[in-house]
Amino acid sequence: MSTDHKEHPTPKKYVQIAIVLGVLTALEVTLYYLEDLVGVFTDSLLIFLAVGKYVIVVGWFMHLRFENKMVNRFFAGGMILALILFAIVMLERGMANFFYS
Amino acid sequence: MSSGHEYPHESTGVETRKLGMWVFLSTEVLFFGTLITTFLLFKGRNFPGIKLTDVYDIPFTSISSFILLMSSLTMVLAHNALENEDQEKTRVWLLATAMLGAIFLAGQIYEFTEFYHKGFELSTNIFSSTFYVLTGFHGLHVFIGVVFLIALWAIGQRQQGLSLDRGMNLEFIALYWHFVDIVWIVLFTVVYLI
Amino acid sequence: MTKIIEPDKRTNIFRRPSSEYGFWSWVTTVDHKKIGIMYGYAAFFFLLVGGLEALILRIQLAQPDSSFLSAAEYNAMFTMHGTTMVFLAIMPISAAFFNYLLPLQIGARDVAFPRLNALSFWLWVAGGLFLYSTFIFGTAGAPEGGYLAEEVGWLGNAPSGGWFGYQPNAGFKYSPGTAMDYWAIGLQILGISSLVSAFNFIVTILNMRTKGMRLMRMPVFTWMTFAVAFLLAFSLPIIAIALFYVTFDRQFGTSFFLTEGGGDPILWQHLFWLFGHPEVYILILPAFGIVSEILPTFSRKPLFGYAAIVFAGFGIAFVGFGVWAHHMFASAISPVAQAGFGLSTMVIAVPTGVKIFNWLGTIWGGKLNLKTPMLFALGFIGMFVIGGLSGVTHSIVPADTQQTDTYYIVAHFHYVLFGGALFGIFGGLYYWFPKVWGKMYNETLGQIHFWLMTIGMNLTFGPMHWLGLQGQVRRTWVYAEETNLGFWNLIVTIGAFILGLSIIVFMANWIYSKRKGEKAPFDPWDARTIEWTIPSPTPVWNFSKAPDIKSLDDFWHAKYDEDEEGRAVRKDTADALLLELEEEGLNPKEVIELPNPSYFPIILAFGLPFLGYAVIYRSISLALAGIVLLLVGSFGWAIEPLEEEFSMKEEEE
Repeated sequence: MSTDHKEHPTPKKYVQIAIVLGVLTALEVTLYYLEDLVGVFTDSLLIFLAVGKYVIVVGWFMHLRFENKMVNRFFAGGMILALILFAIVMLERGMANFFYS
Repeated sequence: MSSGHEYPHESTGVETRKLGMWVFLSTEVLFFGTLITTFLLFKGRNFPGIKLTDVYDIPFTSISSFILLMSSLTMVLAHNALENEDQEKTRVWLLATAMLGAIFLAGQIYEFTEFYHKGFELSTNIFSSTFYVLTGFHGLHVFIGVVFLIALWAIGQRQQGLSLDRGMNLEFIALYWHFVDIVWIVLFTVVYLI
Repeated sequence: MTKIIEPDKRTNIFRRPSSEYGFWSWVTTVDHKKIGIMYGYAAFFFLLVGGLEALILRIQLAQPDSSFLSAAEYNAMFTMHGTTMVFLAIMPISAAFFNYLLPLQIGARDVAFPRLNALSFWLWVAGGLFLYSTFIFGTAGAPEGGYLAEEVGWLGNAPSGGWFGYQPNAGFKYSPGTAMDYWAIGLQILGISSLVSAFNFIVTILNMRTKGMRLMRMPVFTWMTFAVAFLLAFSLPIIAIALFYVTFDRQFGTSFFLTEGGGDPILWQHLFWLFGHPEVYILILPAFGIVSEILPTFSRKPLFGYAAIVFAGFGIAFVGFGVWAHHMFASAISPVAQAGFGLSTMVIAVPTGVKIFNWLGTIWGGKLNLKTPMLFALGFIGMFVIGGLSGVTHSIVPADTQQTDTYYIVAHFHYVLFGGALFGIFGGLYYWFPKVWGKMYNETLGQIHFWLMTIGMNLTFGPMHWLGLQGQVRRTWVYAEETNLGFWNLIVTIGAFILGLSIIVFMANWIYSKRKGEKAPFDPWDARTIEWTIPSPTPVWNFSKAPDIKSLDDFWHAKYDEDEEGRAVRKDTADALLLELEEEGLNPKEVIELPNPSYFPIILAFGLPFLGYAVIYRSISLALAGIVLLLVGSFGWAIEPLEEEFSMKEEEE
């Protein structure tokens, strides 16, 4: 039986978090439409917002912030592995295109 | 020393099925990572043919994204209700989550049908293939999630209701549901907005 | 007298199965030991099939300009040999060891998710049968013209794109029949089976350890199981997607790997090898674990550098994710990638070397007991080092450009897979034979097996080193007389048949010893780990009471003290302890509840092949049948509890 909930956000807190998520989404869509204004930073900002939403859902809704460290590390490990491996694949294909096309 | 406990032992202190679900979700990161990478790899390529940017509808997708996001809220409220042992509320929020998920799926189906009408089909070109396979697998995961939620709701209708201890467990299904949501958070940005 | 337990009430449509013996008890079992035994036998069967495929290949290659096999049949045979050996022989035999031993080594009653464990096994069976059904239902198909388009016998109606299925050769244009679909979908099912096992083992190791069994007190075999599970968990999803892409390209008109449609064939190579390289570490790490158990026991010394061996194992696993493109040096990857991967491949030799030196350190100064398990462990070290050395030569990119796709590579991986993984596995089979069956194997036959196998192995794969460097190309069904490769190829073929003979000796030993072997004590080797503290054969409940672990090699320390020079001195209480353990082990004092058997894993598992056939033959009815099985399996499983409520009914056996 899981007994590791020491603190428990109230429904009210959850609704607040959901509102934040909604606002971030609205920001993202706005950014998309204002792409010409924002220019070269659009992509980075969009990614930043997406990462923010990701962290909020994982941390609070999925409770990872309050979970055992091992679980944290396992999940984070999987993500870091994925990021590194796929970055290498994309770099390699990009460079191959550069060298051989 | 032995006892008739279903899942004895928690050398880590984390409940066994919850730990199992986290391990599974870590592997799903690789699964979706591969799909996303393939999508990104082909996205910028210089290849003729219809692209996603020619057919999509950002306002529509934004709304369905928002709906899926809110389903995470209802999910967490369902879990909260169960922790407070309110069976009735738990079932209500579970059903709400399932419905929001179903609406999201309906939105996807509508969207894809529109794309097909415009000539953006699975085998049209590399842009469409990567798009459909990526969003399609996500949709499949949402569908399976909705099925789980409804099953959970149905089990909750039985006399003993739901509990955080027994068998099919709300907590780990909640984790799965939230994961499906965060994948969409990434997908919406990477596929549609960037 | 066994007490037969009847579940109190029906919670489901069908009565919960409850047989303890007989056919149905095996079909519905969730007991890790039974599952391990089934994996073992089924995998060994496929080892024989794969071996037969190899012998067929060798007959073709024994002489130049041979026409024993046509080109298409040859391609099918080497593809099936590789696929069978990797996925249907070595991986599941390792799974047999993990399944049987893991709970015993950590003092648990069973794995974390027993029904999921059964599901893994039945999925594997379903996948293996599905793959092999290609010989009955599959069609080879070859593009117009060329020598592959000739009529093929049933031997050729199998996947022929190599175990690595390079695109577009294995795509619908150049492999138009259905055989490669059997390959892609079969592998998909097998992949799911292993993935499920992987999370089961990870959760088991993390959560189900007995009191006092801290991570750094676990046996090395358990640590290697953990590393393998981690490798499986993170590499299988990648190949799963890649195989979906292959199936989509072949069946649904997409072009992920076809340049005409904007796709990229090199992407397949990346995705395949992102899985494929961790896969080879998955194949060898179990043998590393087994050897790390055998060497200390038969040298009567503790393992030298336990922590180093554990960390090196994980080092190999991590770096193993970073070397995949060394399989692609001769494909069109960028020079920067070649340099980077060449370096990382050299780096991975380091933790491997650490392990080898630690094993040597274990043997050094020990009182060696040269029984069959030890012979295989020592043989392992020798053969694996040879394979490892040739492997390191591949890391040098310009050299690899000559070596790749020649028999030099074939020599390398057979030394590490046969001389490494398989020798380790045979060592383990002999080592744990007494524990599983309660009988001793025949030592003389064991020795004959070992020596025949060592001679056979070196005769078969040794010459391949120079054959490759002289220019014999891989995956080519015939070579001309003028190449002068005939003599050594003949020697290789003779060696292969000697290997076959050694396997027959092994099988004879197994069958004879199971029937007429001497009864084994529960600790025949005077071993160190806790699986030796319980009776042989292992009782269904494993431990009568959960052991309390005080240190690494807890059992050894219960039997032996150390004198001032660090030598082991048997305690006076040791014999009494052994008697006590035996008595307790056979007669548990309390009622022990075990997870009940279940029908649902096998039902669920067989839904997938139906879906597979549905995709290939575009059959809605088959798809529906598959979905129904999946739904019935899933829902039935979800509703039934892991352990039923029961009341005790006393019955005389």
